[in-house]
Amino acid sequence: MNRAMFAAATGMAAQQSNLETIADNLANAELPGFKGSTETFAALTDGQNGLGTVATGKHLVFEQGELAKAGGPFDVALDGPGFFALERPDGKFVYTRNGQFHRAPDGAVRNADGYALVGVRIPQAALSVNVEPDGKTYVDTATAKHTFVGRIRPAEFVSPESLRVAGSNVFEATSASGPPSYVDAGRDGAPKLAFGMLERSNVSVVEAMMEILAAQRAYEANAKGVQAADEMLRVANNIERS
Amino acid sequence: MNAIHWMASAMLAAKVKLEVAADNLANASSDGFHKHVARTSAGPDGLATSTALSSERGATRYTGRTMDLALLGGGTFSVAPGRNAKLAQPTRTGAFMCDREGYVVDQQGRTLIGKDGNLVRLPHAMPIEPDGTWRDGGRIVARLALPAGTTVRSGFLEGSNVNAIGEMIDVIDAQRAFETAQKTLSALDEARSKAANEVGRFK
Repeated sequence: MNRAMFAAATGMAAQQSNLETIADNLANAELPGFKGSTETFAALTDGQNGLGTVATGKHLVFEQGELAKAGGPFDVALDGPGFFALERPDGKFVYTRNGQFHRAPDGAVRNADGYALVGVRIPQAALSVNVEPDGKTYVDTATAKHTFVGRIRPAEFVSPESLRVAGSNVFEATSASGPPSYVDAGRDGAPKLAFGMLERSNVSVVEAMMEILAAQRAYEANAKGVQAADEMLRVANNIERS
Repeated sequence: MNAIHWMASAMLAAKVKLEVAADNLANASSDGFHKHVARTSAGPDGLATSTALSSERGATRYTGRTMDLALLGGGTFSVAPGRNAKLAQPTRTGAFMCDREGYVVDQQGRTLIGKDGNLVRLPHAMPIEPDGTWRDGGRIVARLALPAGTTVRSGFLEGSNVNAIGEMIDVIDAQRAFETAQKTLSALDEARSKAANEVGRFK
């Protein structure tokens, strides 16, 4: 009975971390470029007997989100794999799929947290900006049209699943992910940039709601398992008395 | 074997049945998990319970992760713990990822083995063709050993084959079987108590 009780308890613990992961996905479902995670489980065994389950961790799903028209001053989306490379104020590089930027007074292109997009600077005099699908960025000023101001080069990783979440929708490289390699956008197999668009999060609210219901019921089923084991222990304790 | 021993073996059988059902329930969300089935039979030493692995396949579902692989048909993936291809283990759990050296590893860190018996290594995460090959611009980079008639899909996973309803029924069944055996055991005990203490007593 104890084995049954512990096996059922591992199931409850696993479903709890599953619920946390789904709740995190739901909370960020409206964040541009957000990538959802899934929880995975593995069977626990001593070689002969099943001892329940264990949550083996959150795994990022880098499935492409839908591209949607956006009205921001410097909204850009990645169509394909890779990340925007950002420089934090402390000089560290982080990576994101959220292409919601603005022109800062110092000429840098920054995201909402103030991290600067690597590769481009927009001069003060620029009246309009355009990013080509290959990442080359041009501005028009009152005196000159189509002036090249830099190129956005997406960062790719051999093992993006191993990136570490380093804050709101940004990742940092780890020894397991490997260092970033900057690719020329627009080439065969490389991502393309879509200016004036934003990538939606790849979390489907409807699916996440369904997953919550399923996780909740699975939790309950395991709780029933604990209950049944407890009840059987009670009965066993009463053998002598009744 | 007397009746009391029979009832004790029945209680043990119910206990094993509950343990199996609880383990199966706990793994209702473990991808590629195959449930155990408890079978009880009457033998010379009372009820004996044996467990066997179910070969039924779980439902395949879309995940969208390139390195999630689902086998459509029989067969298993061969994975090596500690990058040692000699210690190959079979599994149907297809949740893999590329590590930074390009080796394809599962959630427990075991490396996928290809048809040639070597560890599978890819330039980066890329979808597999249904025939079990990874191609980079037409060139075959790696190949999986698949039995005839089996294909493999990227972006899908085979779920657990546990049916929660069936397992809940087994939980209740085991619980009630345990109670029945206990009640019978108590009745037997009472009858013997009467025989020992009341029969032949003069008042």
